[in-house]
Amino acid sequence: MRRPGWRVADLRLVLVAVVHVAAWLAIAARLVDVQGLHAEAFAERGLEQRVRHEELAAKRGTIFDRDGVELAVSISAQTMIANPSQLADPVGVAKLLAPLVGVEEATLVERLTREGSQFAYIARRLEREALDNVVALVESLDLEGVYFIDEPKRVYPAGGLASQIIGFVQDDDGVGLEGLEYEFDEVLAGTPGALVVERDPFGNPIPQGQFLVDPAVPGSDLVLTIDREIEFLAQQALTAAVERTGAIAGTVVVLDVQTGEILAIANTPTFDANDRSNLDVDRFRNRAVTDVYEPGSTLKVVTVAAALEEGVVTPSDVFTVPQKLVIHDKSYTDTARTGEEEMTVAEIVARSSNIGTILIQDQLGNDAHHRYLSAFGLGQVASGQFPGEVDGSLQPVGEWCKTTCGPSTAIGYRVDVTPLQMAAVFAAIANDGVWVEPHIVKEVLPGRGAPEPFEPKRRPVLNAETARTMRLLLQGVVERGTGTRAQIAGYTVGGKTGTTEKFVPGEGYSETDRIASFIGMAPLTEPRIVVAVVLDSPQGELEGGVDLRFGGVSAAPVFAEVAEAALHLLGVAPDAG
Amino acid sequence: MALTARRMEPVTILQRERPMRPDILLVLAYFALAALGIIMVYSASAPRLEAFGEDPSSLIRRHLAFVGIGVVAFVLSSAIPGRTLRTMTPAVYIGSIVTLVAVLFAPKLAGVNRWIQIGDFQFQPSEFAKVAVILVLALLLAGAHDRLRLGHIARGIALVTVPAALTFFQPDLGTMLVFSFIAIAMLFVGGTTWRQFAFLLVAAIVIAVALFQVGALREYQLTRLTAFLDPTADLDATALYNQRQSEIAIGSGGFLGKGLFEGTQTNLSFVPAQATDFIFTAVGEQLGFIGGAIVIALYSLLVWRILAAAAAGREAFTRFVAVGVATVIVFHVFVNIGMTMRLMPVTGLPLPFISAGGSAFIAMSIALGLAHSVWMRRSPVPE
Repeated sequence: MRRPGWRVADLRLVLVAVVHVAAWLAIAARLVDVQGLHAEAFAERGLEQRVRHEELAAKRGTIFDRDGVELAVSISAQTMIANPSQLADPVGVAKLLAPLVGVEEATLVERLTREGSQFAYIARRLEREALDNVVALVESLDLEGVYFIDEPKRVYPAGGLASQIIGFVQDDDGVGLEGLEYEFDEVLAGTPGALVVERDPFGNPIPQGQFLVDPAVPGSDLVLTIDREIEFLAQQALTAAVERTGAIAGTVVVLDVQTGEILAIANTPTFDANDRSNLDVDRFRNRAVTDVYEPGSTLKVVTVAAALEEGVVTPSDVFTVPQKLVIHDKSYTDTARTGEEEMTVAEIVARSSNIGTILIQDQLGNDAHHRYLSAFGLGQVASGQFPGEVDGSLQPVGEWCKTTCGPSTAIGYRVDVTPLQMAAVFAAIANDGVWVEPHIVKEVLPGRGAPEPFEPKRRPVLNAETARTMRLLLQGVVERGTGTRAQIAGYTVGGKTGTTEKFVPGEGYSETDRIASFIGMAPLTEPRIVVAVVLDSPQGELEGGVDLRFGGVSAAPVFAEVAEAALHLLGVAPDAG
Repeated sequence: MALTARRMEPVTILQRERPMRPDILLVLAYFALAALGIIMVYSASAPRLEAFGEDPSSLIRRHLAFVGIGVVAFVLSSAIPGRTLRTMTPAVYIGSIVTLVAVLFAPKLAGVNRWIQIGDFQFQPSEFAKVAVILVLALLLAGAHDRLRLGHIARGIALVTVPAALTFFQPDLGTMLVFSFIAIAMLFVGGTTWRQFAFLLVAAIVIAVALFQVGALREYQLTRLTAFLDPTADLDATALYNQRQSEIAIGSGGFLGKGLFEGTQTNLSFVPAQATDFIFTAVGEQLGFIGGAIVIALYSLLVWRILAAAAAGREAFTRFVAVGVATVIVFHVFVNIGMTMRLMPVTGLPLPFISAGGSAFIAMSIALGLAHSVWMRRSPVPE
């Protein structure tokens, strides 16, 4: 045997052994790395893979009117989906299902034959019969690759009623997009629950694995202050008036004067939240809170009320009122009169004299005037419960010019208001001088727990005596002044007309278009409601050449119609012969 | 090691008749690994089979049968004297080549020509070819009588290239690498110069790169490699899915493991091939670092005993056989465990004596038996 030669081999054997040892060490080192140093991270990743968090949808709250009638409600519906790659005959399935689910055949064929697709909607939110039919068909044919998932559907049983107030939700994810559905989305949506479950790669729950159920908290219900019958009548009256006068748009607000509850807000043009295809977004606006206008003569009530409250005038004080007044670079006129006249404060209000009101404001002074405008809630968001609600504009008194600012403001220019703000001003007069925050949500009803009623802010602005005096002046407007078309049989009514030149941004005041309004209250002995009617650009004339552009002509009758119906519906006893 | 210091002693009849005793440590390590394998294969297969509504013991019963056959094969090959083995070698090699050719013509299973279906069983020729390559190289190197010439090296390369090329067509890249690695390691121990050794290594790399270049590798082989080589690759990529899952399984085992049948990752089939190529994940997850360390310790023990046999072997041929066996086991263990922890790319090499798989278990048992035989028939220890 040749041992010496083995020396090389033996040496090499040692080297091989060294390589082996190195290999063991490398593995051991990696083992320490994976199982020692990073064990927790890997374990976590493992858990992450096994633990599925499944969302449990929360039921969206219902929106009720003041009597508990559903205005917006979620109903259970099922969406039918398919995994096209699992369908044996996609075209056949599409042809079979298209007529049942109300989707066009060509559309469905295209969806189900898309190359490499693993997911396709067949139809969303099927309900009732359509759903039953499809389910029966799928079961009878034992169709593979077709699935149903819960996807609640939001419906608006009242149709086009109070659409701008309620708003609507997005079709695919149910998130509120407009109106109270948007503003109270978090409240209505509730909190989705979670199902935490450990699953194997085939999706089966692991028997000893984690299992946690965190149930969904259903969304709270909203109870609105809306009375759906008043709402309906207001909408009907407004729509008819807009049609009759050719106005571009219009708003009616009905307030309960003691509680600040909004009994109705009607807007035209309007829409039906159940069918919003091809609609102009203009229709979605709740003009009562999103749109501003210069109130004109209706704002004279603030001027006069402030002057009475401050004691600078009494109703019977007599002013010598010229037909025309030039201040600085502006001339003010009373178009309905000629020549100089002796007028009492009551007459100034009844006949809506611009010059008279300017004279009263002169007595009052800008500072006091501004204080009352502010106290009546102008320049501030009225309710804060609506999305897109604006505060209008009321210039700080320090910025008022010394010449025409006071006079212009006295007669309702230079101040931008929303119809809701103006309704609240009149409601304060109706409510013995106490301004009450107007609101639409009466209470929130959580799924669990006590109802949360809304407590409106209250603020005394006038003392009760002044308020009563103001109401008498407003009664004069309706009985013998500019607002006679606002009279209601059986009830005493007070109110104020308003007609302003429409301000078109970028163009200035319109030569022809007017904002016509009437805001009033009834019954005057113990006022219950305020109704504000604002029409944007009414046109034309009544028989006998009466210009429809005036608030007393176009808006006052709408007031009468709505107020009368509302008083009857509310069961308010007549107070006049 | 005192390998080089051994003095020459005349061999006497008395010493020759020294009773043959088994290497207790080697046998114990072998049995321990096989026993652990049985437990692991069962724990990794039963829950999954049950989940599919099949008999949970179906895989383990087959495995137990193979382990039985393997142990018998181990005992039998331990009894083969070097002389007999030497005369058998050419036939074993040729037979092995024949089966490697035959498998290419057998019907494909799982998309590859790797198994020959015999009744209920799949016979995997490449596993046995590993033993054949060890034997034929040992025969060649022993014939060189410590004077390794270029001719020997060339013949060695030729003898390895034939089965390597045949497995390439299966395709089975891992086994091809095994053949190359056996050849380089055995030629090195057989006495290549350092320069020749370096040349062999470079040649192996060049061939590997060339295979890349001519696009001979299949798509999945390429993506596996590129995904492995590029650490910035998205871990969610399917090419790395297996390794990512196995790493999670092993890592989540921690120090002590989750306990038998508590391996959520392996039992729940997050890890693929968890009873075969990725069996180490079952060890790592259920038995933790302790289990993994024990496995490595058992392999170390085994390989130490085989190298001891190589050092103590009576004749050059059997000593080279032992070197080959040690090499093939280490290579498998390193590549397989390395693969489960992203130390190596994914190749379909089984974990010796633990993975489910009849051919591999039996072939490795035979190889171990041959090395064991070398120890039992080692040179008499000088007085």
